[in-house]
Amino acid sequence: MTSMALKSFVGLRQSSQEKNPHFTIQAKPLTVTVQNPRRFRVVAGKFSPKVAGRNLRVAIIGGGPAGGSAAETLVKGGVETYLIERKLDNCKPCGGAIPLCMVGEFDLPLDIIDRRVTKMKMISPSNVAVDIGQTLKPHEYIGMVRREVLDSYLRDRAKENGATVINGLFLKMDIPKEENAPYVLHFTEYDGKVGGVGQKKTLEVDAVIGADGANSRVAKSINAGDYEYAIAFQERVKIPDDKMVYYENLAEMYVGDDVSPDFYGWVFPKCDHVAVGTGTVTHKGDIKKFQLATRNRAKDKILGGKIIRVEAHPIPEHPRPRRLSGRVALVGDAAGYVTKCSGEGIYFAAKSGRMCAEAIVEGSENGKRMVDEGDLRKYLEKWDKTYWPTYKVLDVLQKVFYRSNPAREAFVEMCANEYVQKMTFDSYLYKRVVPGNPLDDLKLAVNTIGSLIRANALRREMDKLSV
Amino acid sequence: MSSMALFSPPTHFPTLSPSSSLSKTQFSHKPHLLFRPKYPLLFRLKASADNGAGAPGSAAATAVEDPKAPPKVPEPSESSDGANGLVPPAPEVGVLSKFEDPKWVNGTWDLTQFQKDGKTDWDAVIDAEARRRKWFEDNPESSSNENPIVFDTSIIPWWAWIKRYHLPEAELLNGRAAMVGFFMAYFVDSLTGVGLVDQMGNFFCKTLLFIAVAGVLLIRKNEDIETIKKLLEETTFYDKQWQATWQDENKIE
Repeated sequence: MTSMALKSFVGLRQSSQEKNPHFTIQAKPLTVTVQNPRRFRVVAGKFSPKVAGRNLRVAIIGGGPAGGSAAETLVKGGVETYLIERKLDNCKPCGGAIPLCMVGEFDLPLDIIDRRVTKMKMISPSNVAVDIGQTLKPHEYIGMVRREVLDSYLRDRAKENGATVINGLFLKMDIPKEENAPYVLHFTEYDGKVGGVGQKKTLEVDAVIGADGANSRVAKSINAGDYEYAIAFQERVKIPDDKMVYYENLAEMYVGDDVSPDFYGWVFPKCDHVAVGTGTVTHKGDIKKFQLATRNRAKDKILGGKIIRVEAHPIPEHPRPRRLSGRVALVGDAAGYVTKCSGEGIYFAAKSGRMCAEAIVEGSENGKRMVDEGDLRKYLEKWDKTYWPTYKVLDVLQKVFYRSNPAREAFVEMCANEYVQKMTFDSYLYKRVVPGNPLDDLKLAVNTIGSLIRANALRREMDKLSV
Repeated sequence: MSSMALFSPPTHFPTLSPSSSLSKTQFSHKPHLLFRPKYPLLFRLKASADNGAGAPGSAAATAVEDPKAPPKVPEPSESSDGANGLVPPAPEVGVLSKFEDPKWVNGTWDLTQFQKDGKTDWDAVIDAEARRRKWFEDNPESSSNENPIVFDTSIIPWWAWIKRYHLPEAELLNGRAAMVGFFMAYFVDSLTGVGLVDQMGNFFCKTLLFIAVAGVLLIRKNEDIETIKKLLEETTFYDKQWQATWQDENKIE
């Protein structure tokens, strides 16, 4: 039956005979466009045609943590890699916190880390302050990095391994009409010139990884759909040295309706200044008010500081409806991989870039075969399977504890519990949702419910007072 | 020292403050503060308003020293912690004095002051804490390292909470359940002639009983029906967002 089908196709193809015999029905040489209807579409990559005479070409749009780590993995896997980044010295506004496991998993040199945060202070709406971090072992910390340093390190490492880094702005992408035809990317190349107009260029590649962040153009090109996003607003404040000592390795989190109705305000130490900021999803118009309130709550500790920079950025709240289309996949913020509750994105961006690249390398057998959507879906499967519990747990925490002021009071009260601290840090630092001792979990559940009930009871008293 | 402090360019001084000429010159100074973020694609900041910047800063700083002073006029340059970076005077008028209460000692309630008949009056502690939280909600204050607040509601024993909050509600709900139960038992008996003891043996009646009890427990106010529906939707919403990419695959195949 297949041979009959093959015979009927033979006449259609321009060039035919010299193909490899172990092709299946979809085979075709590179230079020829083939009029295959989709009837014999095979999903598994192993049956994809060999890419003859060259390696698989993949372009990564966006050179942040996701793009950089994807590029490195692809290049090490034998794929011809192009990394297109619009601004090589970009200081992306960002909290800048990376978990401990990222240092090991991505072989980051320790001098990239400006500060090691080993203590955190959670401050409730009524200013009850709880210190967490006593359960951390001496080698454990949250690393604070400067994004420009981290991003360029990852990019340069990819470059050293053989990736081509292009300084350009991605404009749009032509989706191929035929099976296995290349994607044509249109971009403006700056080539290091600042302020210049740049040259319009095109690039043909076989697969594309969209790592271009929350406002991803790649996502638009594949109609990936939209997501809800939070606005994070941050001011970098240079505070006097004596006040900076307090923030040496301590970060603060402020919760309360005044600071944010659905997120938290923060003071994070950076290399030589602190970042004071807040964020919200539902009340974006009031962000300035929330920022004032955050500064007010931290006032005593940042008094005398001068604001050296103001920045804001969107944070996706959930993945886009479509993270994959054809041979184009989204990773990092472009895909929407930011956790709820903590708003952490750097690690997940880098990890998803790596996972997607690994799927491409595997599906193409180290760059020798063409990939197809099925190979890229494997990355999505792996990602969802590995990290879904983490995302879900953080979502539940956000829904329960960021709901209202009583919930936040209960949250801060629970943070004083050592078991909670241990579980929180373990899951944050190592990205494992480890079920602890069941008896302790039960005690924790009882305590949590107790806290929530007490806080809500107090809230009812408060309402009686105002009536 | 204070003049050095003055020199650090502040952010933006709204011209509310008549205070010192020095602050006026510093105002015109809007230096290379990256006021608009460099990422117009990402976020468009609307107009300035970065000015209220440290508004509470100076005004509150002065207020701390003298809670009775009118908050609007920050003292001129001499005060060492006024007129620094974060500092323009407060556009908002609120009372800027801190929370104070004779029973609030060292960041927690002093239980020895809540004695009644030789035992701690927990109800008074609960009231005091509610008042404190209300105060903070209406007048958010700066959290301070020197006077940290460490009060934890779990020091109030469980029976005090139960007596005050659970028992009245429990009485209410039991009352409702009893009324519904009595009337339904009478109604079913009058319709079918089956007495109370025999009703309890019947599976259908037991189901109805279960529904009645659950209803009394879950739906206490009219709004609860909506709340429960929304909660159910909320629990699965995030999952649906994650699954969206897989709906796609099923459509193509």
